[in-house]
Amino acid sequence: MKKLSFSFSYLFILLFVLNGCSNNLKTSAEITDPFEDLNRNIFAFNKSVDQNIVSPISDSYVKTVPYPVRKSITNHLKWMDTPTTIVNSALQVDLENTILASAKFMLNGLSLGFYDFDKDETKIHKKDFGSTLAKLNVPEGPFLMVPFLGPKTTRHFAGTISDRQSLGNVSSDSVNKLSLVEIPINLVDKRTKLANNIDNIYESPDPYSKIKSYYIQNRRKNVYGDKYLEIKNNKSDLEFEKLLQ
Amino acid sequence: MKNFYNSINIQKILYITFFSLLYFQLLTYKAYPDNIKNSEMIVQQMIADAKKHALKTIKLSPKERSLKIEKLIKRFINLDFMARATTGSFWKKATNTQKEKYKSALLKQIVNTIEEHLNTLATLSYKPQKSEARGKKLVYVKGIIKDHSKKIPDVNLLWKLAENKKGKFLVLDLEIEGISLVSTHKAETMSILRKNRGNFNALLNTFSKGQ
Repeated sequence: MKKLSFSFSYLFILLFVLNGCSNNLKTSAEITDPFEDLNRNIFAFNKSVDQNIVSPISDSYVKTVPYPVRKSITNHLKWMDTPTTIVNSALQVDLENTILASAKFMLNGLSLGFYDFDKDETKIHKKDFGSTLAKLNVPEGPFLMVPFLGPKTTRHFAGTISDRQSLGNVSSDSVNKLSLVEIPINLVDKRTKLANNIDNIYESPDPYSKIKSYYIQNRRKNVYGDKYLEIKNNKSDLEFEKLLQ
Repeated sequence: MKNFYNSINIQKILYITFFSLLYFQLLTYKAYPDNIKNSEMIVQQMIADAKKHALKTIKLSPKERSLKIEKLIKRFINLDFMARATTGSFWKKATNTQKEKYKSALLKQIVNTIEEHLNTLATLSYKPQKSEARGKKLVYVKGIIKDHSKKIPDVNLLWKLAENKKGKFLVLDLEIEGISLVSTHKAETMSILRKNRGNFNALLNTFSKGQ
């Protein structure tokens, strides 16, 4: 027991030190894409799956299921995802987010997450193991287009697998089976929310590049927050001022 | 003490320094708030006009509607800047005809994007947030789009504006939740141009196929 508590406190100190040192904001760098040809083929596959299967299901889901029911399903999916945020916020020594996410998880647990008692008033930053790796200065790696899951950086993809694995290890068999059902529901739910944007991407001249750019900007903003936006804006200010001369 | 100041004339020097500093401070103080005010007015006017358009153009044919939106964009967006910003170093190598064709293709793309979101804009409200002057020329105007029915979460917007040669403030870029319109277009355009070894005609062909 003593050994375990010692290793935990050692890990905590190590994470705290790394948290203080972490400043790997290479935000201006373009993401490397060494597997572009393969990625483009996977994107074409994902697009056809989306257009032939997911999108029609999503359309009929919107038409048949009333908004309050859809909203409660979204709430439940968010609630199921909260333990990942709690664990990773703690690993990133983000105490405020850990406490807020834990409180919200317990409060909404009264309705199994189907009803949001807080009504989205408390802003909780979604954290995953990918963002924890980013805090530990692990580089984001090359860009990947994953079948069914869509765009990811290598770091984000590794984080997603790790999150799934660790959730599977701590939860019961019934919860694991439930999460298998929730993956396709989550896919349809996300497609419904992003319908306009996805259709807009498909209509563009190079949808692959567009989705890559959208994803990278959004992911970096979610991982690094305001620091990223400030660095990105400083860089674009210089470029814009040059062009305005 | 007074004698001391008089003797070495420090008091005069201090006065001159103080007033000259104050003068320069006032000069810059006047310039920045004016830029911010003008930029905020442009954004507010643009949103008000877009809302009006959304309601007025519902009964029009798609072509007439696109034309109306085109006019609106030309009034508020610095298309020339956007075209240069999204093509990088390839812009200088393009001919004047290619540049004009690219600008109209870009305009069509922006019109298509706006057309898809125009109907939803009519039911949403815009709340201006803090604005700031950046560097010598740029102004950032921040705002939030709110849906009172709470079906859509709040959307943070950031408009980047600068004065053009005619002294009018125009929009250079729009960031929606941190995603920049110019960066996204640039990624797309550069990818096509690099694949075709900087051939501008190939870019224009891809754009015309997409539209």
